[in-house]
Amino acid sequence: MKRRLAAAAALGLSAALALSACSSSSKTGSSSSSGGQVTLHFFGADYGTAGTSNSTQIYWQDIATAFHKQNPNITVDIQTIDWNDFPAKLHTLLQAKNYPDIIEGDAPQAYAQEGIAYKASDVLSQSTLDNLIPTFAKQGDYQGVEYGIPFTTSTRALYYNTKLFKAAGIASPPTTWAELKTDAAKIAALGNSTIGYGMPLGTEEAQAESFMWMLGAGGGYVNSGGSYTINSAANLTAFNFMNTLVTAGDTEANPGTVNRATLWSDFAAGTVGMVGGSPAVVPIIQTAGKLTSSDWATAPFPGENGVVSNPLGVDDQIVALNVHNDQGAIQSFLNFAYQDTYQAQFDKEYDLLPATTSAADAQESDPIFGPFVKAIPTSSSYPVNANWSDVGTKIKQTIGAAVDGTSPSTVLGQIQQFAQSDQ
Amino acid sequence: MDTRPAAPVEARQDAVVAARIHQTPGRRLRRALAPLPWLAPAVALIAFVVLWPVWEMFQTSRQHINSYGFNLGNYGWTNYSTLFADPNLGSVMLRTVVWTLAIVAATMLISLALAQLLNRAFPGRRVVRWALIAPWAASVMMTAIVFRWMLDPNNGVINVFLHQIGVVKEFNGSQASWLGNPNDALIWMMVVAVFVSVPFATYALLAGLTSIPSEVYEAARIDGAGWWRTYRSITIPLLRPAMLVAVLINLMNVFNSFPIIWTMTGGGPDYQTSTSTVYMYSLKQFNIGESGALSVVNFGVVILIVLVFLRANRSTLKEG
Repeated sequence: MKRRLAAAAALGLSAALALSACSSSSKTGSSSSSGGQVTLHFFGADYGTAGTSNSTQIYWQDIATAFHKQNPNITVDIQTIDWNDFPAKLHTLLQAKNYPDIIEGDAPQAYAQEGIAYKASDVLSQSTLDNLIPTFAKQGDYQGVEYGIPFTTSTRALYYNTKLFKAAGIASPPTTWAELKTDAAKIAALGNSTIGYGMPLGTEEAQAESFMWMLGAGGGYVNSGGSYTINSAANLTAFNFMNTLVTAGDTEANPGTVNRATLWSDFAAGTVGMVGGSPAVVPIIQTAGKLTSSDWATAPFPGENGVVSNPLGVDDQIVALNVHNDQGAIQSFLNFAYQDTYQAQFDKEYDLLPATTSAADAQESDPIFGPFVKAIPTSSSYPVNANWSDVGTKIKQTIGAAVDGTSPSTVLGQIQQFAQSDQ
Repeated sequence: MDTRPAAPVEARQDAVVAARIHQTPGRRLRRALAPLPWLAPAVALIAFVVLWPVWEMFQTSRQHINSYGFNLGNYGWTNYSTLFADPNLGSVMLRTVVWTLAIVAATMLISLALAQLLNRAFPGRRVVRWALIAPWAASVMMTAIVFRWMLDPNNGVINVFLHQIGVVKEFNGSQASWLGNPNDALIWMMVVAVFVSVPFATYALLAGLTSIPSEVYEAARIDGAGWWRTYRSITIPLLRPAMLVAVLINLMNVFNSFPIIWTMTGGGPDYQTSTSTVYMYSLKQFNIGESGALSVVNFGVVILIVLVFLRANRSTLKEG
């Protein structure tokens, strides 16, 4: 009797498993529209802190709600994930064939290569397209056609703590690497576990910190022809110099494991002398309340022989996928979301820069953001190679080792090899 | 231990042989298939949740799949050659072996002592037994996050304590950054892994200890056996079945352990704290094929561990 019961239970269990497997596979395969009702799935990065009032989930949810009021037959389902987990989560969704309709935060080239992305002109009105800042709009190109749509942008500069500078007897921010090293050493010597220069090479955004140093040596990820040059002599110079900073104790310990978010909040707490950052550092400083506005300032990032004239400019792109054939609905949602009011609201919330010319013009005279906005036209961007997304992930996972004891030529060489083999 | 008298067995076998002579092939087949309705659900379950995924995994490892999940066609053995040419593979596999053996060994030693302690009657034993469940019941991920914060180089409680007793000289220094240095990070993560594995092993051994009849100990005492002799000749041999189960389950758990490493270091820097399970996950983000090949290798390792283990303990398991 007992055995039969167990067998029946096993039968029931296996039937349930089989059923659930069927239902889940049919769910992922189905188009999300039914009976005139369309549900769009939006997957984006969270620029704030999940679960708090500054979560980007709330920003998008407000837009989606307002949009649904005007278009009752279109519902937009919003999901945002913090930057550190964003690549893993996104790839898990895609690998499970669970395609979102709109992705914010990833480069569009790989989707275009697969033929699953809408052209920007298919999902955005001409007037909105013309309003995008040209430097960043061309970052969405794949084989000469624009697929990605820049949504938010930032340029990078060196934040420095004027109070610590004064205490260490330094008059002005560094303009060369040598000066940066001297200054960082003086600040680290202040004691109290003060960090001279914060070097975030952890998985969150190692590709940005690395790029800023490469630019300082006249290097970069690709040459003008678009071929990868990750282990070029200039890049190796940059990493060799970074190593001298790390071994001298002028940075935090083990930079390869430290994320940008940690160092930005440490800077806001007043324990870091210098750190590279986007305008998004400003609200962190203000929330922490440890530094007054006269305790910190920004300066152009120093290079090997002088300040970097082509600083890192980052744009986060939106790409729309054609997997569910919801072009009309996506188009009306994106046109709605790209209104100046929403762009301004986003920039205000996260102190990032706009992607549209009209919104950027409005900010050019701002005392804090003006210098960042003015740097946009000459800024250097990430490569637009189709496999950049994969290469970026590889960089995030491994490049920190180049300052943690493994030789830079080995680490950069392996990344270069991966970049060339994974075309 | 087979204590049945021999004669009835022989008689039964004769009856079976006699029955077989009178059977037609059709009836024999029906007889052979008779248990099927009872076995089928279990067989189907195993086929569906074990064998089919294994087959799918193997198929995946021979496809060219990009990081977006698009299948670009058959890839032959390329994923495997990529995997075996991977400069990180050797150190990852070696680390996996060290990780697994060190944690299982430490867990078993601590659990043996703890089980002995909990087998003794002392005031408050019930409370201690319950308290031991806590690390087991708590989510491993949560435990790992708590430890990560306790080890924060700037203000983690462990560092604050070590600073107060003079071990850690300065916050934010390389000494305080335990999780940033691959060797220190591995040791700390092993501590966490032992911490979460000890409760189960202790309970398994405790169950074994309580099942040893007291008469055996009494006999040993009468024969004048000392404490060590009693432990070696009675406790350990009679505890062996429980110990085997605990070791085998622990081996599997620790080998497949993912949340501790992923939460505390993410396997970094540069995969230097990755075990093969964590490395498989890191690879999955940009190279699914190689990741698939590694999961086939991992599956092979698991099968190998089980086979070696079962073979080495054949006699004991039969007795148990």
